[in-house]
Amino acid sequence: MKAYFLFALKRLLQLFAVCFAGISAAFFISHLSPISPVDSIIGRVSGRSTYSPEAIRALRATMTELFGLDVPLWQQYLNFWGRFVTGDLGPSLLAFPTPALRLVMIALPWTFGLLTATIIINWLIGNILGGLAGYYQNNRFLKAFGIVAIGLQPIPHYIVAFLMVILFGFLWPILPISGGFAMNVRVAWTPEFVLSVLHYALLPALSLVLVGIGTWFLGMRALVSNIVTEDYVTYAELAGVKRPTILFAYVIRNAMIPQLTSLAMTLGLIFSGTIIIEQVFSYPGLGTLLVRAVNEGDTTVVLAVSSIAIIAVATAIFIIDLLHPIFDPRVRVE
Amino acid sequence: MRTLTTLAVAAAVAIAGFASGAMAQDDAALAPTMDLPRNETLIINNPEAPASNPDSFNLWVAGSGAANSNGLHQLALDTLWFIDPDAGLDGSLYNQLASEPWQYNADFTEMTVKLREGITWSDGVPFTSADVKYTVDLQASTPGFNWSAPFADAIESVDTPDDYTVHFKLKKPNARFHALFMVRWNAAWIMPKHIFEAQADPKSFNFNPPVGLGPYTLHSYDPNGYWYIWEKRPDWDKTALAIWGEPAPKYIIYQSIPDVDKRLIEMVNGNLDMIHDLSPEGMFNLAKQDENARGWFPGFPYAHPDPTLVMAIFNNQKAPFDDKRVRWALTLMLDPVEMSMASYRGAATLSAIAMPPTGTHTDDYHGPLQQWITDYELDTGKSKIKPYDPTVGTQIANMVRPQFGDAVPTDATMINKSFGYGWWKKDVKAAGELLEAAGFTNQGGKWFKPDGEQFKITINTFTDGVVNRLGTDIAQQWTLAGVETTPVADPVIYGTTLDLGQFDVATAWSIETWGGNPDLSFFLDSWHSDYLSPAGERQTARNWQRYSDPRLDKIIETMRVTEFTDHEANVALGNEFIKLMVDEMPFMPIMSFNVFSAYDTRYWTGFPTAEEKPYANIVNNWSNSKYIFTQLKPAGN
Repeated sequence: MKAYFLFALKRLLQLFAVCFAGISAAFFISHLSPISPVDSIIGRVSGRSTYSPEAIRALRATMTELFGLDVPLWQQYLNFWGRFVTGDLGPSLLAFPTPALRLVMIALPWTFGLLTATIIINWLIGNILGGLAGYYQNNRFLKAFGIVAIGLQPIPHYIVAFLMVILFGFLWPILPISGGFAMNVRVAWTPEFVLSVLHYALLPALSLVLVGIGTWFLGMRALVSNIVTEDYVTYAELAGVKRPTILFAYVIRNAMIPQLTSLAMTLGLIFSGTIIIEQVFSYPGLGTLLVRAVNEGDTTVVLAVSSIAIIAVATAIFIIDLLHPIFDPRVRVE
Repeated sequence: MRTLTTLAVAAAVAIAGFASGAMAQDDAALAPTMDLPRNETLIINNPEAPASNPDSFNLWVAGSGAANSNGLHQLALDTLWFIDPDAGLDGSLYNQLASEPWQYNADFTEMTVKLREGITWSDGVPFTSADVKYTVDLQASTPGFNWSAPFADAIESVDTPDDYTVHFKLKKPNARFHALFMVRWNAAWIMPKHIFEAQADPKSFNFNPPVGLGPYTLHSYDPNGYWYIWEKRPDWDKTALAIWGEPAPKYIIYQSIPDVDKRLIEMVNGNLDMIHDLSPEGMFNLAKQDENARGWFPGFPYAHPDPTLVMAIFNNQKAPFDDKRVRWALTLMLDPVEMSMASYRGAATLSAIAMPPTGTHTDDYHGPLQQWITDYELDTGKSKIKPYDPTVGTQIANMVRPQFGDAVPTDATMINKSFGYGWWKKDVKAAGELLEAAGFTNQGGKWFKPDGEQFKITINTFTDGVVNRLGTDIAQQWTLAGVETTPVADPVIYGTTLDLGQFDVATAWSIETWGGNPDLSFFLDSWHSDYLSPAGERQTARNWQRYSDPRLDKIIETMRVTEFTDHEANVALGNEFIKLMVDEMPFMPIMSFNVFSAYDTRYWTGFPTAEEKPYANIVNNWSNSKYIFTQLKPAGN
């Protein structure tokens, strides 16, 4: 047990180091952007009226001071960490003075809901069917599913998304193609709202599932196809162990280890959003927020989204690291 | 298997918990759904991306992220006057919160405004001159508001002799001061004093829900900023719009649909009544697929010509674009028919002069100047040519007629209005003579500058749409003529590239006019050399070409002391300006920005049309689209 705690402590220190390095890199990279938030605002404001050069200079000084950009970069960096450790990611520069974290928290549930659900559906169905296809290699249904999966998997999900819009939004218009829920539904935790959210998420989710499922299916099928040739599987079969037991307890359990690691990393990526799906379906989420923040030079929002994504990926990997010994006895022994 | 099940259950619980925490924020006592009868609801496409700050309605603050085109400035806010780029309901100028036009003193250093009586804010508080004074005083004295600098620059003091009179004293003579309160697309909106003065910090106040002077109030909105629903005030008759009648829709929804193809689909499906803009192909398809849908024109070219001139802007502070012979040479290297076909599939309205061919401008300027421009002579250094071709509009009409048949006009007047009067002839020989006169040499079909370097241009253009196509086509034509040109799709062309002068040539615009009036102050005042920044420094809108000329300054200074309503004097100044621009060619005028706005008559009728009722601009992110709502009638579906 002591060894396990040492192992966990080592991983925890690694987690902090990764987060610190990643967020610091995100800070400096986002500040390398040639787009200045101050210029972005001046451009927008002065485009509506006649501003003399002196008035522009005065507005620049006001906005630069207000945004805390009138100090050297190293001081901005220290200020950033000073705020960060208290949970304050700073005000959005283009929705001033609204906290960047608030904008992130408005968008996050949509991305989290859509991507977590589709990733888990993909992971479960893809791995179960892939495991079965690797084990029951002559099953016609699974063979046919494999052919469809191989056909769909290389198609970019945005192409599938456009096809969904044309098919279910135009040719046979039965599903909504814009927004996160119906305009006549109040935002509240009611059955009407939940059903509406599910209704509006159908097409975006279907676009992600149709393409995403193939990756897990093909990966699992390949893993299982290798494992079934292992001696211990042959021995179990010869010993008369029931086939479902062999499949789930011996084969799939072993094949699941790399798939679980991949799942953790994929779940972590949720926090950077799915930009194209959001654009195609006018679906709310982090991707749209991030793109707009990058285009307009809102470094605080860019940093807020990046920091959350970095922490999420690193934490997901940390948790999987901690869980690994539970799934894999070999790691436990080590 | 047990592990898999555990994972699935955990994920489901996590999603439910997360979602409930994030969303269970509204009053649970309210009904879960709202009744929005389709036949009482007008659904309008907001062309902009969802608001950066969906909860904020304080659009007076610079950088607050509050949206404009979500209905806020169309339905809830108001100011003193409006001017329409088209004919208007009774002339293009509207007295809105003001009961009559502005009154200047003899030397234009004071302006008096009489306000309409009986108007109330949406919370029932009467609107008075104190609101106007508060709007001006707060912004002029506090940097960081959108109108802080223009107010501080222009206004010496503002006082209120009574509840319905406002008196401004100006720092210097300015016959166009009233324009700060005259909405073309936007202007200085009046703030509710009683709401803002109660705030400790008006700049961090999100003004939610907004209290307005318009006939609608905020009903509900998407927390992500994709749509905003507005409901008609029971006391709509206590707003300035009421003099034009009751706005018909009970509810108006502004829905952000950034993707143009989906706008078309939503309209065909009956989920959208007004589209801000489509692609040319989208408009042609919509006209075919939806019998209830149409554009500004009943047939080709469909689009509404905005009073905005698309142009190739030369950076006059950068060699060799500081030489007018080079600017003219580049103009003569282009085929106007090809530019029209490449950008708008022929549905462009060309203009050879520095004036959008829209609204009343064709009657004031383009038509009367035809003889002068046809006779105009250009000295290339080796010969004198007459560069204008008055038949370009007819050539384009003839070219698109086989595809669009009867939808293409045959009448000469309609051809001129639809496709433009004419443009500069492509004349590569004359262009070469001009370049040689400027010291350039041609080696193996490529042009080289006087210093021996190859003449290469980067042309910044929009990231998509017709202007992007135009920029790409110009680059191709110049390259074929021996000037190697690279087009760059520029997401920050406005706000950064043009403002900071980081370009050689850009396809964009620096001319936007009132549209329904010959006065040019809307864009031209800012072209005075007083406002010109040195190379490398941010240029104030709108002199993106960074051009200055004492003759231009004189025109502007005369304009500043010419009454806005003096039609003849303003047309004379406009003619002087146009002729100077032809001589100097500091930018290349190309075409109006034609907007493929569309509307559907399935649920509502009475929209403005080019041929019968051109009473308002149908481009629906303009705030003067509010007048349309008073003219609509339910279609009975």
